[in-house]
Amino acid sequence: MGKIINIIFLLSFLGMKIQGFAKENIYEENCMRCHKQMSLGMQKIFMRYLLKYSSEMPVKSAIIDFLKNPNYFTSALRKDQIARYGLKTKTTLTDEELEKAVDIYWEKYKIFGKLK
Amino acid sequence: MSVSRSRATNLHRAERKTLFAFLFLYSIFSIIILAFLAFIYYNLQKDLMLEGQTNRLQEDSFLLISKLKYLHEHFEEEQVYPRFENFRSAIYDSSKKLIFTTLKEESVNLDKTLYSVNDNIHYIRLLESYYLGTMYVVIEISDDGVWLNFVKTEVIAYGTILFLIFLFVGYYLLKLMLRPMRNTLSFLDRFIKDTTHELNTPVTAILTNIEMIDQKKLDPIVAKKIRRIDIASRTISNIYKDLTFTALGNKVISKDESIDLYKLLSERIEYFKIIALSKNIEFITSLKRNVFIYIDRTKMTRVIDNLLSNAIKYNKKAGYIKVTLEDGYIEIEDGGIGISQKDIDAVFDRFSRFNSSEGGFGLGLNIVKSILDEYGIKIKFISKVNKGTKVRVYWEKL
Repeated sequence: MGKIINIIFLLSFLGMKIQGFAKENIYEENCMRCHKQMSLGMQKIFMRYLLKYSSEMPVKSAIIDFLKNPNYFTSALRKDQIARYGLKTKTTLTDEELEKAVDIYWEKYKIFGKLK
Repeated sequence: MSVSRSRATNLHRAERKTLFAFLFLYSIFSIIILAFLAFIYYNLQKDLMLEGQTNRLQEDSFLLISKLKYLHEHFEEEQVYPRFENFRSAIYDSSKKLIFTTLKEESVNLDKTLYSVNDNIHYIRLLESYYLGTMYVVIEISDDGVWLNFVKTEVIAYGTILFLIFLFVGYYLLKLMLRPMRNTLSFLDRFIKDTTHELNTPVTAILTNIEMIDQKKLDPIVAKKIRRIDIASRTISNIYKDLTFTALGNKVISKDESIDLYKLLSERIEYFKIIALSKNIEFITSLKRNVFIYIDRTKMTRVIDNLLSNAIKYNKKAGYIKVTLEDGYIEIEDGGIGISQKDIDAVFDRFSRFNSSEGGFGLGLNIVKSILDEYGIKIKFISKVNKGTKVRVYWEKL
């Protein structure tokens, strides 16, 4: 009986881990892959959004809006950067996947707890 | 026995009572007004003090914002929040979530611009560019409290002066308002004095002459008439003494001495026996000898006379009056009409009478009470309607 419980516990733990990796993958696969290639710093872009929208909800909302409908007016990049890198194409992710990816992005670069 | 006498005063008792009641209410009202004024003054001074700090706080906020801007632009290399010697600070995002703080005071009101809280002054500034996501910058400096001590001193000093002025004005106004009442009382006093003075000579003449008449030699019918005149004269004499006491009571200097109550009571019972006889009232006495009290003789006589007079006045025909003297108390009991419980509380009020068919001014028990109060002697009424009244005058035994 004890063994069965241990196996169930182990399987649940592994399940959670796999889910975590899957989450990370959404962000890594869909965001970081291109940004790394283009050497566009995610932190810098995050700070631009923060400068304009201040708190979590408006920042996330602005990023999602841009990813769904990229244009010159909602882009966080400077004009010269847009001219250099061009505008990204519309996201192919579902709303749920998009939210997950943006959540990961927020958690990675948010200011809370980082100031000393 | 040793008893203390209350201090005499020139003010009439009713006037003094009104004066105290008015001044008490007036003082409370004045204090409320002054407290309200002090509160307004305090807030004005506080606002002035805060205004005085505005420039300095603005400069401090500019300094912090410039540091935040630098930090925002170099966040990847530098993550140390700027700290200053002269002030403390905090930053909040647009959802009012705290990003970082070095404040001493935890409670922050982001809806205000400038306020003081627990010896600290807070200045809130809103940013247009949200460096590090900051929408609200809070600058905190310590309040040294100098202004508060200044305000306290001023409030206490001016408050006391104003209160005294208010009190003086109130006292003056009250005296002005009470002037008609005082004039009426003075008129009444003068009237009573004049009346009693005019009564004294004829009443004394009647009583002296009746005493000189040898009633045994008179015809029984004439003797009966003479007795009636005697009773009427004694009643007038009693009223005269009450009026004299009321008019002059407070101004007469007491001559306290040790009084033999057995002798005094016997003498007064003898005096009232003639009046009691007119209603066939019987005196039952139980008087202990050698009971002494230290008091003014005239005043004690007024007490006994009034109690005996009431016992006769409110008695039934062919009733009885039981007089008891023991160490520490005198008790006068009658089998008369009695007093209802609700009227007992008012028996000592001046001009209160409980039976309009009986004569008198309603002064008697008021006089009794004022004399007994003066000497710290207590009085107790036990009465039942149509059964009778028992009055006990008691004091601490030696």
